[in-house]
Amino acid sequence: MVETIPIDTWIGMGVAIVAFWGVAGWAMVRTLRQEDRKVSLLEDQRRMDTYSPRGLSELREWIEANPDDPYREDAIGRYNECVEVLRETDRHFYDWSEGEIERLKTI
Amino acid sequence: MATEAKTARAEWGSRFGFLMAMIGAMVGVGNIWRFPFVTGENGGGAFILAFLILLFLVMIPGLMAEVALGKYAGKGVIGSIRDATGPGAAAGLGVIVLIVNIALMTYYSPVVGWTLYYMVHSYLFTFTAAGFEAGGFLDALFANPALMIGLHTAVMAIIATILYLGISNGVERLVVYAVPALVLGLAVIAIRAVTLPGAAEGLVFTFTVEWEYLTFAQTWQEALAQALFSTGLGWGIAITVGSYLREYDDAPLGGGVFTAVGEASIGVLAAFAIFPLVFAFGVDPASGAGLTFEALPQVFIEMPGGALWAIVFFTGFFLAALTSAVVITEVGVTTVSEETRLSREQSVLGVCGVIWVLGLPSAYSVEILEFGDDTFALWGLPLATIAILVAVGWFMGPERLRVLSLNQNAGIHVGRWWNPLVKYVVPLTMVFIMAVFAWEFRGEDIMIAGMVMLVGVPLISFAVMRYVDSRAEPQAQAEVTGGDR
Repeated sequence: MVETIPIDTWIGMGVAIVAFWGVAGWAMVRTLRQEDRKVSLLEDQRRMDTYSPRGLSELREWIEANPDDPYREDAIGRYNECVEVLRETDRHFYDWSEGEIERLKTI
Repeated sequence: MATEAKTARAEWGSRFGFLMAMIGAMVGVGNIWRFPFVTGENGGGAFILAFLILLFLVMIPGLMAEVALGKYAGKGVIGSIRDATGPGAAAGLGVIVLIVNIALMTYYSPVVGWTLYYMVHSYLFTFTAAGFEAGGFLDALFANPALMIGLHTAVMAIIATILYLGISNGVERLVVYAVPALVLGLAVIAIRAVTLPGAAEGLVFTFTVEWEYLTFAQTWQEALAQALFSTGLGWGIAITVGSYLREYDDAPLGGGVFTAVGEASIGVLAAFAIFPLVFAFGVDPASGAGLTFEALPQVFIEMPGGALWAIVFFTGFFLAALTSAVVITEVGVTTVSEETRLSREQSVLGVCGVIWVLGLPSAYSVEILEFGDDTFALWGLPLATIAILVAVGWFMGPERLRVLSLNQNAGIHVGRWWNPLVKYVVPLTMVFIMAVFAWEFRGEDIMIAGMVMLVGVPLISFAVMRYVDSRAEPQAQAEVTGGDR
């Protein structure tokens, strides 16, 4: 019969709560806050940037590395759409600087 | 999201609705009884660490792949996988997923029926009535085929009604209330359970860290099996739920990280709720699935206010089972309505009708149900997971999907580390787990049935799609060849 809870058990419970409920809670709060920001952006300007600087850079790298890919046209459409929205809107969802936007070129 | 970007296809009404649909689909009966037990049996905190590593290494990348594919294609399992493979026999990978999904539902529906039966009896205060005997109560249910079939019929009727109402008005409306209600119910029971005399023993059993277990192969094998069965990877759920995402929705954070860790969190909460109860009242923790249907009703008899606690528990248990069943069935409904000329309403009736008919043997006999469960859970789910991951990893190409879909509107950036996980690690992990199961059950009927299924289901699936796509009009999209270059 266990009367008290040993320190090992407290550690196990702490790890479980932080690793699961902590991470799940963080993910839910983060994604719902992002949702609020997206709603606000879309209500204001009807369009929003769809890629982060890193995501857009990798998309461009992929387009350039795969000139014959059947998905290339779709990729170019997605790339150009993001660039145009970044140029035409004032508020952005991702962390874009003015310098980064100025350097972007459509394909 | 208040976007004007509308499509003819249905969409989730809110981000919360999507998140709850994913959690509601993944959290089933296994989270509530199995996770706490295997944790306690395999080193407590050490098992939790192994489970977490596998979640992040295998399950989260796999779920991200499924959601991203569904979001990109905007179609059900066959349509999404056909977009990845091109039309023809290879699109049979989608049929494999559909067959496994429907087969799983044929025996899951009777189990949901049991939870419905117990919930109804909790409201009738049966479990706290004088002379109640839990074992006899369950035996009487199993010995009454008419009642079992009636429950299976009632469950399929409830599922069909919810699905008939559609994605937003039916499925979403259910999960946004049912999942929080389940969490609240378990939390209330957990608070009561850990304050009972003797509860500490249950917490010690489940959570004490025994680091040496990390060196045992069985710990990792159990963690892998738990991760596979609880996250819903390979059921086609994530593809289907992802296909109803809206234009600006994220896939990796909500569909990957939150879904995998969130559903496991319910298992952790169940550990706080169930095992302190089990130990406080001297019930055998190794009762397995029987724990819920035989052991716990016995506990409620002895608890102060037991009738109320039984209502809270069995209502939550039923909701966990029902939400899973609804979203699992949605996989077939979405696919059939897209691949045939049937309307959504006709597809609901058709898919639910097929599941009802094929589920009759499992409803009639628990032995048939257990045989089907063993065969499809051990080999069907890993096979379906491989089918999806082959479509993404070897036909679509992970890098292509990553740059086009996964990182578009994403809440977190997914780097190139994801590609080898999806292409090699997850499929090989599934092959490994099937090999382990085959070795464990070598020579037994379950193993032979599993091998027949592993050969037969893909052959039938490839033949069906080769025939169907050869008769269909040429696809507008060019056939995709190869994967990443």
